[in-house]
Amino acid sequence: MATSALALDNISAFYGDSHVLHGVSFTLGEGRLLGLLGRNGAGKSTCMNVIVGLLRAREGDISVFGESVRRMSPELIASRGVALVPQGRRIFRSLTVRENLIVATRNGNGKKAAWTDETVFAMFPRLRERRSQLAAHLSGGEQQMLAIGRALMNNPRVLLMDEPSEGLAPQIVAEVMGTIRTLKASGLSILLVEQNPRLVFDIADDVVILNSGEIALAGSAKAINPNDARVAQYLGVF
Amino acid sequence: MSLWLTLAVNSIALGGLLFLLSAGFSLIFGLMRIPNLMHGSFFMLGAYFGVSFLQQGVNFWLAALLSGVAMALIGGLIERFLLKRLSGQELPQVLLTLGLSFIIADLCLMIWTGDPWQPATPPQLRGAVQVAGLFFPIYRLAIVAVAVVVALALWLMIDWTRLGAKIRAGVDDAPIARMVGIHVSKLFTLIFALGAGLAAFGGVMGAPYLSVYPGLDAEMLPLALIVVILGGTGSLVGAFVGSFVIGFLYNFGQAMFPDLAYVILFLPMVLVLVLRPQGLFGKVMS
Repeated sequence: MATSALALDNISAFYGDSHVLHGVSFTLGEGRLLGLLGRNGAGKSTCMNVIVGLLRAREGDISVFGESVRRMSPELIASRGVALVPQGRRIFRSLTVRENLIVATRNGNGKKAAWTDETVFAMFPRLRERRSQLAAHLSGGEQQMLAIGRALMNNPRVLLMDEPSEGLAPQIVAEVMGTIRTLKASGLSILLVEQNPRLVFDIADDVVILNSGEIALAGSAKAINPNDARVAQYLGVF
Repeated sequence: MSLWLTLAVNSIALGGLLFLLSAGFSLIFGLMRIPNLMHGSFFMLGAYFGVSFLQQGVNFWLAALLSGVAMALIGGLIERFLLKRLSGQELPQVLLTLGLSFIIADLCLMIWTGDPWQPATPPQLRGAVQVAGLFFPIYRLAIVAVAVVVALALWLMIDWTRLGAKIRAGVDDAPIARMVGIHVSKLFTLIFALGAGLAAFGGVMGAPYLSVYPGLDAEMLPLALIVVILGGTGSLVGAFVGSFVIGFLYNFGQAMFPDLAYVILFLPMVLVLVLRPQGLFGKVMS
């Protein structure tokens, strides 16, 4: 069996008294791209928050390359090479573009870091042009690129992306998806949360569909038919 | 020297001291949202530490530095072990810092008694320099010079270093900052310790000028509060400009309209609160 980059095992999570995730389990294989789908409120972003440690799971375990991270702080989880491109981008608005990148620097295991501000600028030349500008002044697409760049500065082993296409013009969405393809081709393990199933089925190796905090469907992207009536029912689209 | 010039020099010197006091207060309040009512106590306790060091024959500058370091340690411990537990709860934080300020005041009274202490001006800073026929006391000019150096150092640290960028990132969005690997809680302890240390350093710097006595804390705290409200919380430029504005209003107000001194001092604060609540240089909080 291939190495698992990220594994959720029977995760239950709550917001206050509200039970949001009910025993969610799935595995992201090393170098693979797993698409996590579901309607609004299905628990996709909660999954992301639990993985990065912003929300503590009440039950179950999460492991990154075999190491349990469930009880770790967000800072420690980041040090294990887990990076998130959060929903709504959430870049640091009062920092310049370059500062947004350098505050997130992590040099994994003393090896020469693959991702530096220079390599991020090479991938997103528009950010280089705006390197000294305040991040608050960037367009939506540029902010998304910055959020991706900031996550890459962690030199991650697992990259989580929460709705990277949200609120962007179709042309920019295509650009972002192109970036994700490039990152996947570089061997990065990626967990992609999306509301738009077309984007996910197009790019993912594996797909997990959440419904009301439970796994409704899971399998390889090829094995699941996006036009299946059940898929349409869980996602409410197509 | 004419009265006006004396008042102006005193105002600038007080402005310098107020900056040392309020820079930390502004950073702690602006960055960490902690209304630290102990800040006047840090100033006073630091000044008392300085008095004790000076009595042991320690050099004035070294005494100011040692006092600043000691107070930074105490401030760091208070933040780490007490304030952190009340994170995000403003009223409990206010009450805690108020309570601690009473405790510190009583401890100071026990240890240093109720008598005022006025350490001598350090020998190298005695006397005056003559410029264009006017005499300027060296010690007061030194206070201003120190304030300017501290202001520059803080500005460089916050605006031009990676550490400063991390602090600003933590202020912008603490959960996301933690998630990208920034140890926000440690940075905030550092800021609190730095603010406490600066206040204590300012306390020693001001001791030969203001002297040290019970109640100095309660006199300095409102001044820091006015400076920060006027300049804008979290803004170093605001604290700098605000300090000198208040320095002038305080000295000139007391000399020209002694009956209205407090009105002159607090009226600008009231106007700013009503017309521009974020202060002259503050940002609107999201």
